[in-house]
Amino acid sequence: MRKLGDIASQSGQLSQVPVQSLMPLPAPYDRIADLPPRKVLNQKVLDRIDTSLDGFSALGLARPQTPEEEHEFVKRFLSGLEKLLSKENNWTFLEQLTLSLDHCARCQTCVEACPIYTASGHDEVYRPTFRSEVFRRLMNEYAKPGGKALAWLKGEHVELNAATLGRLLESAYRCTLCRRCAQACPMGVDNALLTREIRKLFSMEMGIAPKEIHDKGSMLQLRTGSSTGMNARAVRDNVAFLDEEIRDQTGLTIETPWDKEGADVLLIHNAGEILAWLENPMAFAIILEAAGISWTMSSDLAGYDSVNYGLWYDDAQFARVAVKQAEAARKLKVKKIVLGECGHGHKASMVTADRILTGDLNIPRESALVLLRDIVMSGRLKLDPSRNDFPVTLHDPCNMVRMMGIVEPQREILRAICPQFREMTPHGVNNYCCGGGSGFAIMSGYNFEDWRFSVAGRMKLKQILDAFADCPSPEVKKYVCAPCSNCKGQFRDLFQYYGVWEKSGILYGGLAELIVNAMTDLSQPFIKWEFH
Amino acid sequence: MLTVMLISVALVIFFAGNAVRVVKTLRMPAHLRWELYPIPKGPEERQRYGGSYFEESGWWTKPVDTSHKSEVAFVLKEVLLLRGVWENFRALWSWAWLLHWGLYLYVLATLLALGEVLLPAGASFGTLHAAVMYGYRLACSLGLAGTLGLLVIRSWHPRVRAFTTRIGIFDLLLLGSIFATGMLLLTAGPAGLHSMISDLVRLPTFLGNHPAVWHIHVALLTFFLAYFPFTHMTHAYMKYFTWHRVRWDDSPIAHDPHAAKTLAVNLQRKTSWAAPHIAAGGTATWSEVVADADGNGAGKRA
Repeated sequence: MRKLGDIASQSGQLSQVPVQSLMPLPAPYDRIADLPPRKVLNQKVLDRIDTSLDGFSALGLARPQTPEEEHEFVKRFLSGLEKLLSKENNWTFLEQLTLSLDHCARCQTCVEACPIYTASGHDEVYRPTFRSEVFRRLMNEYAKPGGKALAWLKGEHVELNAATLGRLLESAYRCTLCRRCAQACPMGVDNALLTREIRKLFSMEMGIAPKEIHDKGSMLQLRTGSSTGMNARAVRDNVAFLDEEIRDQTGLTIETPWDKEGADVLLIHNAGEILAWLENPMAFAIILEAAGISWTMSSDLAGYDSVNYGLWYDDAQFARVAVKQAEAARKLKVKKIVLGECGHGHKASMVTADRILTGDLNIPRESALVLLRDIVMSGRLKLDPSRNDFPVTLHDPCNMVRMMGIVEPQREILRAICPQFREMTPHGVNNYCCGGGSGFAIMSGYNFEDWRFSVAGRMKLKQILDAFADCPSPEVKKYVCAPCSNCKGQFRDLFQYYGVWEKSGILYGGLAELIVNAMTDLSQPFIKWEFH
Repeated sequence: MLTVMLISVALVIFFAGNAVRVVKTLRMPAHLRWELYPIPKGPEERQRYGGSYFEESGWWTKPVDTSHKSEVAFVLKEVLLLRGVWENFRALWSWAWLLHWGLYLYVLATLLALGEVLLPAGASFGTLHAAVMYGYRLACSLGLAGTLGLLVIRSWHPRVRAFTTRIGIFDLLLLGSIFATGMLLLTAGPAGLHSMISDLVRLPTFLGNHPAVWHIHVALLTFFLAYFPFTHMTHAYMKYFTWHRVRWDDSPIAHDPHAAKTLAVNLQRKTSWAAPHIAAGGTATWSEVVADADGNGAGKRA
């Protein structure tokens, strides 16, 4: 790409994203020849879907085949642009949107904060201001009075056609909404917010969103109760299996309480944990029972799954799920909801939904990290830190840390129970995203995973390897504590792609597992050093 | 007199334009929360690492920090030192800092010059007059250096070049011209920059006696005043909204008894989002859309 207006170019691909240009990784991950080959899309697929941004496709957006189809596509986009500027349709984010549209000084102060842009070797299509500026110019030129003349006067004209929109949409799925760039902006402009507004326009007006987060995500959750597709009966069966596993592994007899009215705590996990990382909900059950907490899980629709994918792309879906979760808690008359280890679930429920959940739906919501910290520091559990005497580093999930300021509770725990705990650089509110944020961890698209691993997760991988630079051998088993289901999904896939377990002996897992691993009541280590 | 009339019109546009922008933003609906840490609120120890009240158990039962001390300190560092640019784009910082201080000092010198005019005739105000003279001298020197530096950076630096548009260059040229003509006026003796305000206020009928550069400087200023409210330069005060009302707005509904009422109004707004899973059709309210959890299209039933 040479200039911003190239986004409207009718042919060609704006970037090739050559592997050689990407930010180098430490040895042994610096050997390009060792990387899995990129998935090659066949000509039939390439003719059908839009890959003209960078050769990757997150959405599989079909190209309009006729001028009439293109006209209709553009018309619907314009209708969405106008709605974003109206109080009726966008009261949710109108103020943030207009502030970020109107006050960017184009100073580019923010760009180096973006891990995707920098890890890509400064590929211009991933510059965080690229999509924002295109969006801003489209809004100013096509949705505001006198926009066309002003665009010409200012030298900010952008041609509006299907190519522009296809690339803009794909580009909105090349940002993890980590908001590091917003932190760096001296004006308070938020490129991530603008990215989300682009996604929202396409979803709420045109019905276009990645199938993994809409059809198989929020829609499935609203229909069955969980984005995993588990209905109430299935989730109870699966958790009963976990209770049995606890008995088999530890000898402890635990029966997870369901729908217990008046419990102090309604624990809502990311339901993906129950299927993919059983050890996490098992660890929670062990800790809460050992600490004598009055707790329950809910089998009501959405009451057993803290995910809320609408946070990433659609206000209506977001509000629908948030209300369902709160209704489940209200029905059980619990004192508070505790969100399990799920970053976006935390932010969705505790922050963004706060001004939707009015009256008796606004039940107090708390982070599991805080509850775990209180339990560990209270001395209610007998813990032996020497059981965790292996190198541990901490990943800060963006939603919990940069967007909620939950920084210390997890560190207090790790400092208390992990003698070899070390920080990544940077960390805390300045952390880097795992590369799976804003839905990427569950998205595969057509060849999107190649991009997710080689570009989006690159900075995080480097950070993790750097944190363990003093013990690189695979013989030394190491642990990345990632108290977020989405981040764990990204680490699972990222580590697999690069062979991190085999080459470096690095395992990932949650926080609760480390606590249980340190419990002296258990005769065997809880953490199994097996990659999955 | 024409000059004074034009300046008056420009001032009206300046104040009205900025007021409209502020009022429009103030009247926007209460939005969903979108805060970003670190937030300069709460105990200092927590601010040090960017922590929040969410780190406390039972946070909803604890008092909220209503002090604005840390926010003010943050704003001062940002406004006076351009901290964000310093930390993230050092090559731009020195020029941006010079330009901003040029503007601050120009405004300050003008306010002092106005004060000079308002003091009773015959009063001794030699120090004030000297401050005005030196203020303008420093303002124009810093501002011009900053503008020229930014013009070079904008045209050359690979980080900003592709995102520099005609309007960006125009804004810098406008500011640069104001500072350059101001510099020229500093050598114009009693008819120069340092007496501009008093001449404009006291001697509007004799303005024709000034040199051409004086008139150019005043014309540029007049244009700038009328132009300013329509540019991104309004970030000078709109940062209050981007920071205080968005980035730092972590106020939970549990602590705001009026919030529920305001939000109830929002939920009754009629929406027209057209995607199949919403299909609101301009007839369904947000409440109805949210209640339509199966995503069959609220508008079809409303």
